[in-house]
Amino acid sequence: MAAAAVARLGLRAVKEVRVQFCPFENNVESTRTFLQAVSRDKVRATNLKCSVTVDVRHDGSEPRVDVLFGDGHRLVMRGAHLTAQEMLMAFASHIRARSAAGSGDTPGADGGR
Amino acid sequence: MHFERQKLMAVTEYIPPKPAISPQCLAPPSKPVQEETGLIRLIRREIAAVFQNNRMIAICQNIPMSSEDKLLMRHRLRKHNILVKAFPNQFLKPFLEGSKYRNLLPLFVGHNLLLVSGEPKVREMVRVLKSVPLLPLLGGCIDDTILSRQGFINYSKLPSLDLVQGELVGGLTLLTAQTHALLQRQPLHLTALLDQYVRQQRQGHSAEPAPGQPDPPDSAPDSQPACP
Repeated sequence: MAAAAVARLGLRAVKEVRVQFCPFENNVESTRTFLQAVSRDKVRATNLKCSVTVDVRHDGSEPRVDVLFGDGHRLVMRGAHLTAQEMLMAFASHIRARSAAGSGDTPGADGGR
Repeated sequence: MHFERQKLMAVTEYIPPKPAISPQCLAPPSKPVQEETGLIRLIRREIAAVFQNNRMIAICQNIPMSSEDKLLMRHRLRKHNILVKAFPNQFLKPFLEGSKYRNLLPLFVGHNLLLVSGEPKVREMVRVLKSVPLLPLLGGCIDDTILSRQGFINYSKLPSLDLVQGELVGGLTLLTAQTHALLQRQPLHLTALLDQYVRQQRQGHSAEPAPGQPDPPDSAPDSQPACP
């Protein structure tokens, strides 16, 4: 349902999502589930300019998700000890915050002129 | 309801007897074991056949892209004779545990696709997967050697087998050729010097107006023909 929440919100406020993990480790399941949820067609279609990149390594590094928002904010999630639900909920709440901040700024700028 | 009727109903309510041991403490009744259906047996046989027949097996994450994109990718891979297979993890995992591919087990989490092929056509496969911006290649196995994604990329950059064999043969013969040349150098040098000397002697003899017979070439170097 957190995946559905993300799908409903859309990725409009997001500029780039970079998912990095090492598939031979044991703690990557949540990161892979997150990737599965974020890279669905409907979710990606909400913002075609948002690039979702996958970095597959083999150096035993921890899985992490790096999200860059349109207004320069950055969200880094280290998925080694997080569940997919937590990651998706945090992602959704950040998107909501960013889009609220974005939409709160623009009427203020118009009113100030 | 009337008051008296209510009282009567309350008094005559049925209270079921409590069992001696509450059912939560007892073990649950064992469910009957479901026997394997034909489909499961078929899937198991197919998995075994896939791992038997194919030299190259690559695993990539089953990214939910649109079905047209996926079909296009499948078509491009099929042109190079690479098949795309998907099996339920529930049957794949026990099979892998039993076979020699135990180290591929951590890869099979979530949705996956198996790209299998008889010949290891890694370069074409990597090129096709690169056209999809999400490149979910996780790893795989070529000829009983487990490779990561970097390993696949390195493999694709290797030259062909004939070239590598030629290089190896050349490198090995280089050493023996060097030894051969070193051993042969001294006698060759000596022979060259002797030839040079003989030529010089012949020239010296032909230049002199000697009526006598020319000395044989292997006479002592400082013997002069006597002039009468």
